[in-house]
Amino acid sequence: MKYAYYPGCVAKSSAHELYDSTALVADKLGIELVELTAASCCGAGVVNEGNPLLNTTLNARTFAMAENMGLNILTICSTCQGVMLQDKWRLDNDSDLLAKVNEHLATMNMQYKRTVKVKHLLWALIEDYGLSKLTELATKPLKGLKAAPFYGCYIVRPSEALQFDDHNRPTSFEKLITALGAEPVHYEGETKCCGFPILFVQRETAFAMAATYLNNAKQKKADFIVTPCPLCHISLDAYQAKASSQIKARIDLPVMHLSQMVGLALGIQPQKLGFSKHMVAMSKALHGL
Amino acid sequence: MNTQEATFRILRSDPEHHERRRYETYRVKIDNRMTVLDALEDIKHGQDASLTYRRSCRSGICGSCAMRINGLAKLACKTRAVTEVERCGEVLVEPMENMPLIRDLVVDMGEFWREIDRAAPWLEWDKTLEGSTQENMLTSLQQQISGKLADCIMCGCCFSDCVSRVFDKNFTGPASLAKVHRFASDPRDKVGAKRIPALVGLGLWSCTHCYFCWSQCPRDVRPVAAISELRILSLGLGDRSHGARHVSVFMNSVKNTGMLNESALYLKTMRSAVLRDSGLILKMATRGKAPPLFPRAIPRIDEVRSLFSLIKERGEK
Repeated sequence: MKYAYYPGCVAKSSAHELYDSTALVADKLGIELVELTAASCCGAGVVNEGNPLLNTTLNARTFAMAENMGLNILTICSTCQGVMLQDKWRLDNDSDLLAKVNEHLATMNMQYKRTVKVKHLLWALIEDYGLSKLTELATKPLKGLKAAPFYGCYIVRPSEALQFDDHNRPTSFEKLITALGAEPVHYEGETKCCGFPILFVQRETAFAMAATYLNNAKQKKADFIVTPCPLCHISLDAYQAKASSQIKARIDLPVMHLSQMVGLALGIQPQKLGFSKHMVAMSKALHGL
Repeated sequence: MNTQEATFRILRSDPEHHERRRYETYRVKIDNRMTVLDALEDIKHGQDASLTYRRSCRSGICGSCAMRINGLAKLACKTRAVTEVERCGEVLVEPMENMPLIRDLVVDMGEFWREIDRAAPWLEWDKTLEGSTQENMLTSLQQQISGKLADCIMCGCCFSDCVSRVFDKNFTGPASLAKVHRFASDPRDKVGAKRIPALVGLGLWSCTHCYFCWSQCPRDVRPVAAISELRILSLGLGDRSHGARHVSVFMNSVKNTGMLNESALYLKTMRSAVLRDSGLILKMATRGKAPPLFPRAIPRIDEVRSLFSLIKERGEK
């Protein structure tokens, strides 16, 4: 298995441990990742509000790069995946838009041909790799641990653009958690917003979202929250103490990215997965292993 | 026709008579065609006449029967019961959120309507057009925008499931903003785009793009897309709010480095408010998590910059 790898900006910056963990996991699983180092930011739903055509063109440039390599795109960021798939959906269903975008790409001898697929690591593990194979390789199954999946937004909505899982009741994360030996924990808020998109604009609202859903997962006795998104990771881990104090609660719930959860089950040492970089100590969650 | 017995778990309560909230379970024989509303009618007329809910047209037009079905706001008359059973093993029915409860599945829509009033999404007739001998035609594009947004039936599904509205009561909600866009882009409206600056005070930048309003709208109005378009229009009108600054810094970051410069976005959007985070910044820095202040540009950044310039020069959006 080989992919054009698009880690996203945050996994290469403040959540670098997710980038490192993915490299270790891919190596262990025999997945070859060829990084799209010259690809630009997906726009994160923000560039789209400055100029939607520019957003779509930048993402089409990324698609064209992967097509030139003859590879599908794999990302570990559900925001990148959602934003790119929305642009891909528009381009694949609007020939006028495709023509305009390709006219711009032609100035740099590039073209988007509508052939590339964009997949999140979660989807690739389920669809391409196979969960039964993953279970076989899980030398350290996460037995006894309760994992609360935090799907967030972009990996489940809008379903027209994503065409994977059921946004009414997604199950992909639950399947992965079960395959790795942990027990999935359901709670109110697992498909809601972590608050990151408005973290710098409406901070109190963002904190209220993060704290409420973290607290809900804690009430259901989760050992940790697992996310598909570096942005959720920052919102729920780095800002957890501030968010908790806003609702006057001590939550202290460890947060990990799915690459780290898979890494743990594959027997990769916790210190190599970058848990020491987290703001909320992971030791409590790992105690049961 | 396949039939099966399905479980309906319904949240019941009567706050006016101090009746506590409780889930009551009913068994209903359903076939493949039955909607959740059909099943509620069976329960009301065959098992429990006290069950209270709104309904009228039964055809997805009036919007009366909006309620939460297996955790999401939907029209009961448009939702097949068997699909919900297949998905969740039962049909959990609860009243809509973000509005006060009256009884059982009936909520007080007053809060929703007050937000519509705040946004004033109705035609302010341009009287200068009176007496004109010409038809006031909409362009095809204007018709596309207005037509889609005019499909809203004010059922409240988007308002119920709006995550921002739960925590920010100043956020007017998806429906009212989508309605404003409908009139802001109508050339027959004398206020037109002048409606937009006032939207900042109604929470234009409070939407998180969670896409619940898109997913739950029974008429496919896609309010979040309308909100994004209103933000574009607002930026074009010189919006200098916190949210507008966030977009502008983000755009510059991508233009300069090809990537999101997290430090620049944080410092330039938050400005002096970052001082509140000094402890967190220090902690992140000591753990090697602080994003670089001056990140390197991606290879082939000239291509990204040339796309910025090209699209700007042509005035395309």
